[in-house]
Amino acid sequence: MLDKLNKLSFVIGLFFLIVAIILLANYLINNSNHQQVNLYVGIVFLVFGAIMMSLKNTEN
Amino acid sequence: MKLHFTDYLIIALYFLFVIGVGFIIKKRIKSSNDFLNSNRSIPLWITSLAFISANLGAQEVLGMVASGAKYGIMTVHFYWVGAIFAMVFLGVFMMPFYYGSKARSVPEYLSLRFDEKTRALNAITFAVMTVFSSGISLYALAKLLEVVLHWNFDLSIVIAAGIVMVYTFLGGLTSAVYNEVLQFFLIVLGLSPLVIIALHDAGGWSTIKTQLQPQMTHAWKYMATANENPMGINFISLIFGLGFVMSFGYFCTDFLVVQRAMIAKNINAAQRTPIIAAIPKMFMPIIVVLPGIIAITLMQPALLSKGFSIPTNEAGELDYTMTLPSLIAHYYPTGILGVGITALLASFMSGMAGNVTAFNSVFTYDIYQAHFVKNKSDKHYLQVGKMATVFGILFSIVTAYIAKSYNNINDFLQLVFSFVNGPLFATFLLGMFWKRTTSNGAFWGLLAGTLTAAITHGLTIAEGKGGWIAPVFEIKSGMGQAFIVAGFSWIGNFVTTILVSLATTPKPEHELKGLVYSLTDKPKFETNKWYLKVIPLSILLIIVTIVLNIIFF
Repeated sequence: MLDKLNKLSFVIGLFFLIVAIILLANYLINNSNHQQVNLYVGIVFLVFGAIMMSLKNTEN
Repeated sequence: MKLHFTDYLIIALYFLFVIGVGFIIKKRIKSSNDFLNSNRSIPLWITSLAFISANLGAQEVLGMVASGAKYGIMTVHFYWVGAIFAMVFLGVFMMPFYYGSKARSVPEYLSLRFDEKTRALNAITFAVMTVFSSGISLYALAKLLEVVLHWNFDLSIVIAAGIVMVYTFLGGLTSAVYNEVLQFFLIVLGLSPLVIIALHDAGGWSTIKTQLQPQMTHAWKYMATANENPMGINFISLIFGLGFVMSFGYFCTDFLVVQRAMIAKNINAAQRTPIIAAIPKMFMPIIVVLPGIIAITLMQPALLSKGFSIPTNEAGELDYTMTLPSLIAHYYPTGILGVGITALLASFMSGMAGNVTAFNSVFTYDIYQAHFVKNKSDKHYLQVGKMATVFGILFSIVTAYIAKSYNNINDFLQLVFSFVNGPLFATFLLGMFWKRTTSNGAFWGLLAGTLTAAITHGLTIAEGKGGWIAPVFEIKSGMGQAFIVAGFSWIGNFVTTILVSLATTPKPEHELKGLVYSLTDKPKFETNKWYLKVIPLSILLIIVTIVLNIIFF
């Protein structure tokens, strides 16, 4: 895990994954139409973060 | 605008990550080359995204959205006339010299091609400009946080400067570049939802076209004469002033952006860096120009019910700079609001770190090592590079407070940019492609170009600025004036360099190998895949750019 932190794509992915979790948690806590955008953006960030974290050999 | 716990949590997370990147990179820093040049070991995708991010500072982001609101779709000329062609030119023609000459900086290339006095002139003006630019970025950030979020101005300056200092001091250029990539994704992904939501609310592009004057939604149709369009310039001034002089001057000679390509792993990657970067750059107007056009549409009578407005300044005029923060405040609820504010913070910090890392390289290599302390150990220059980082940031804080005292200092700096960067491109163009160009020609050409810029500015007046010799010519917008000043300064430099060169002795040809086009072997590509080659990619980019210009003609 610590080795992966040397990989930029993993770090970026991890950042967006955590932001996604915060946005989705915020949506679930304050469930309203006004918060709908947090749900959509949270899902997009979650997918983007997961893809970035799973990328291999980005340093080459 | 009021932030809540979730928003602060996202901002804190971002700060944690950028500092964390600094700590991760720190262990890789062993020499001055690692710290100031990333040891030329950065992968292509990172150099490409850092290349875009380095000129995606807040002044660009806020400024382009503001211009979108003020001038409409004509603002895309900065991308589809200016940036793309200049980036392609840099990749195809200029990177082989920058990279192949083994120069560590743009001023060092000037010393190899010409002499030390030309290098010193460029290094000193560049160092001063980067510190002022970094300080103005810092000032703008603190001002925005004070106005929008009611944060303390001094505290904002200290926190933002402190965070940039920590990660650039720890990891040098690599840390700045890695953070620029994170900042790029944050800016793009953080602002994209705003475009979608606001565009949907405004009724889509078809509604925008019906609500606005046609001059605001046609990029070229009203450019035959200066009086027909909101920018107040005709297509010749635009193509020459912006498309040729200003854009080529910035993208091809400004060390801040060129440095990102110079740290690539090999010459092929260095050439492809601006070319690959041009692909997302081509579509950046969706993120930074379209919101401005949407904002001004939302203020039309038919859409007033949407409740959006751009704030006004003390004079009662629209404060276009506040267009983007106003859109974020209007459309983003808690949560994504934190992402939007973090994207703005990222753009400010990206611009500041880019300037500081360019400053420390130029100071260490081109001022300190070249003119003061030569032949010391590498450890010594590493320490100097680190100290230059600290002092660069401290100077930035000082210039931020100078900017606070003088409300027109940003205009002044933009003017200095057009005085310095515009003529500089003529020096490089002649130096790289005409072997007869001499050292004296380059030096006096640079001075003459800057003087021509000053005289042109003194004889033209736009929005109350300039005309300090005599306001002989009136130009409708400050932006149009900048294009004209840059155009004349380039001509002044070009003509003077040629005349002085013809009257002085050039360097012998064997000293110019690897520095001048006609005397340099062309780099060979080790791949058969067309999409990895510079020329086919460049042709494709140019075709797509022309098509975009036709679509929005």
